[in-house]
Amino acid sequence: MSYILNRLLSVALTLALISMITFVVTNILPGDVAMVIMGTQSNPEALAGLRENLGLNDPLIMQYGRWVGGMLTGDWGKSLVFKEAIGPLIAQKFVASGLIVVMSMTIALVCAIPLGVWAAVHQNKWQDNAASTTSLLGVSLPDFFWGIMLILLFARYLEWFPSSGFVHPADDFLGAVRHAFLPSLALGLGLMAHLTRMTRSTMTGILNQEFVRVARAKGLSERTVVWRYSLANAIGPVITVAGLQVGYLFGSIIVVESLFNFTGMGWLTYQALLNRDIPLIQSTVFVIAAVVMLTNLLVDLLYVVIDPRIRLN
Amino acid sequence: MKRRDFLGTSALFGSIVLSGMPMAALASDPVSGGTLIWGHSETTQNLDIHQTGTASTGRLLQNIHESIVTTDKNLNVVPNLAESFSQSDDGLTYTFNLRSGVKFHDGSDLTSADVKYSFERCANPETGATNFEVFKAVASIETPDDMTVIVKLSSVNAPFLSRLAENGAGAVIPEGSGDTQGEKPTGAGPFIFVRREFGNEVELSRFDDYFDGPAYLDGIISREITEPTVRLTGLRTGELHMINDIPLDRMSEIEGNDKFQTLAWFPLNFDFVNFNHDFEPFKDARVREAFDLMIDKETLMQGALWGQGATSASPSFPTSASYNSALEQRPQDIEKAKALLADAGYGPGDLKVVFKVTTNYPYHVDSAQIMLEWFRAAGVDMSIEQLTWSDWLSQVWVDKDFQMTMMNFFTLWEPDFLYYSLWHSTGGFNYRKVSDPALDAMLEKARITVDSDARMAIYKDVQKYVADNTLDIVLWFRNGTIGAQTNVMGLDTVVQPNGSELNFHKVWLAS
Repeated sequence: MSYILNRLLSVALTLALISMITFVVTNILPGDVAMVIMGTQSNPEALAGLRENLGLNDPLIMQYGRWVGGMLTGDWGKSLVFKEAIGPLIAQKFVASGLIVVMSMTIALVCAIPLGVWAAVHQNKWQDNAASTTSLLGVSLPDFFWGIMLILLFARYLEWFPSSGFVHPADDFLGAVRHAFLPSLALGLGLMAHLTRMTRSTMTGILNQEFVRVARAKGLSERTVVWRYSLANAIGPVITVAGLQVGYLFGSIIVVESLFNFTGMGWLTYQALLNRDIPLIQSTVFVIAAVVMLTNLLVDLLYVVIDPRIRLN
Repeated sequence: MKRRDFLGTSALFGSIVLSGMPMAALASDPVSGGTLIWGHSETTQNLDIHQTGTASTGRLLQNIHESIVTTDKNLNVVPNLAESFSQSDDGLTYTFNLRSGVKFHDGSDLTSADVKYSFERCANPETGATNFEVFKAVASIETPDDMTVIVKLSSVNAPFLSRLAENGAGAVIPEGSGDTQGEKPTGAGPFIFVRREFGNEVELSRFDDYFDGPAYLDGIISREITEPTVRLTGLRTGELHMINDIPLDRMSEIEGNDKFQTLAWFPLNFDFVNFNHDFEPFKDARVREAFDLMIDKETLMQGALWGQGATSASPSFPTSASYNSALEQRPQDIEKAKALLADAGYGPGDLKVVFKVTTNYPYHVDSAQIMLEWFRAAGVDMSIEQLTWSDWLSQVWVDKDFQMTMMNFFTLWEPDFLYYSLWHSTGGFNYRKVSDPALDAMLEKARITVDSDARMAIYKDVQKYVADNTLDIVLWFRNGTIGAQTNVMGLDTVVQPNGSELNFHKVWLAS
């Protein structure tokens, strides 16, 4: 318990530090939000007025204080460019990103683990080569390529899935899954390739160990040896990598999000940065950082469940 | 007939070309009902019509707001929310009599107080209104009764009334609604704003009390799909009724297809190449002319716009009275360009120029890459720097830290906005540091010339002056494009004479 509390405390401290760094860095960047709002319709006088109105002329420490104060009281403020309340905006994009991350990770794990195990069991045979080739293909082709291919195949020719758009799961769960399927598959293919290779290499190591030979000598069925004993030992590193990927996917899948008009946290952060929308940058970076750190904590806790040899302290 | 001739002679408002067969012919009378699903090419931003400077957001807001006056297809200012208006002989007092029975979406009636509120809001620098400049000369706004507004100017501002005809400066919002306009735009237009799921879609519904008769459509859902391939796929699979901004290189895919109709209107905007007039080499008119001579405008237009435009030496609205049709672009002549550079003291390789271009307009990047070859052939050591939109705005527009660049602007039919803002030494849009006393004098004179013919003659001279001295290089007008299913009717009405585009009031869906 005290281990978890310690970890949470360090998460909080890191987040505070990240928010400060983000604030300073975004303020160093040239240009500001008033300029972006008015675009090529701006003239110096109106621009100065808008800057005053948005509070951009206040000292930095005051602007930062305003944001921290707001965060602590649950008022995340409004986006300066889009005029939307940040809290609900992030909540909506969080759901979109969450859906796509969970679905793509599920697709990836469900395919990668059996494929990896299969390759390891048939090491250096045709099965292994087939699995390696498949995963190499997945790793080396970028997700926007898969995205466009999937749109052409499943949306344009077969018309099985919609080509784009987001539906909120609370409104229509099945619709939400249908809309999220193609983007999740596009992401999942790359991930799957990664995780297949990971599973194969850890499994290969495990299968050569002494306890496996002992288990086989005892006459246990091959299925029990591979799936029950070996996989349980091999799965740790795979889970770690998958956990790290969750954080990564959550905040940086802008390409797939924009391709499928399935805009989530990555896209929102990118828009915030492009427009120098400081309160929005602050809040999105904060949420993404929190998700990354909490997933890592969760993965560590999961270790205990999977591998009883590990104790937290 | 060459495109340029067409420009000079066409009496049409710009031109709207509809091709492909709307279903149509069979369905004679418009029917009400249905929700139009529109694949919008950009993400909408701040929804406040007085503050927003982006074309994409304006496109949507055209359906929500109405301006106090508007224009007919001959570009004369005509009544809209004001049923009549007059101007005093000294050009200082404007009186507007409002139409009675006009309702806003919030249920309130349009009164003179709303107009006063809207105009004063734009005039207040703290609002950050993009049309702030229009109201600069306003001395007072009086409302003797609920239906009358009297605007007094402190000095003559000849284009004042024309500027109010744009659904931006002239848009009237309910009194006191300024603070909520950014999130929930409220106006007197044909559609009511329902909701926005930011970055995904915006929903509008019909306003039954619209003063000019309710729209046919029950509503509009604008899905913001920025990726062109996906937008096009959505149209092909039938998920979308229509898309705007067909990717130029894909135009041919749907143009000849009888399952779809396409609409091209002209002009969407003009593009020009800019010099920083503070950069030493560009202070010499010979150097600027040399660069003009290096560019083959027609080839560049074919290469960068895939032919979706028409070259022009004048940036004035092509069918407006201020368009100088006698003006011609300089033909490409690399040898002459080299000679001019040599005269100015720059031998081959002596002149190093950085061309800053924004990735916000991919065709600008293509243009710069094509021009690079010509500039190098003429012995200029040129390099391209690609900037994001906010970097371009900050470096070029605000800090004026550049040597060459290019940009586009809407071609509004009111020339003062264009010429004074862009070429007067104190103009709000003069990011190129153009400072020419002779030109300033012409522009100031135009502003106080009330006689329209005399005023337009001055603007024609201004265009000639800009071209003769190569203050900038005007390239072309670009087309706007729409692709739609054949059951979308009335698309030829979406572009309005006052410059507002994608107005869906008269659009309907055949079953």
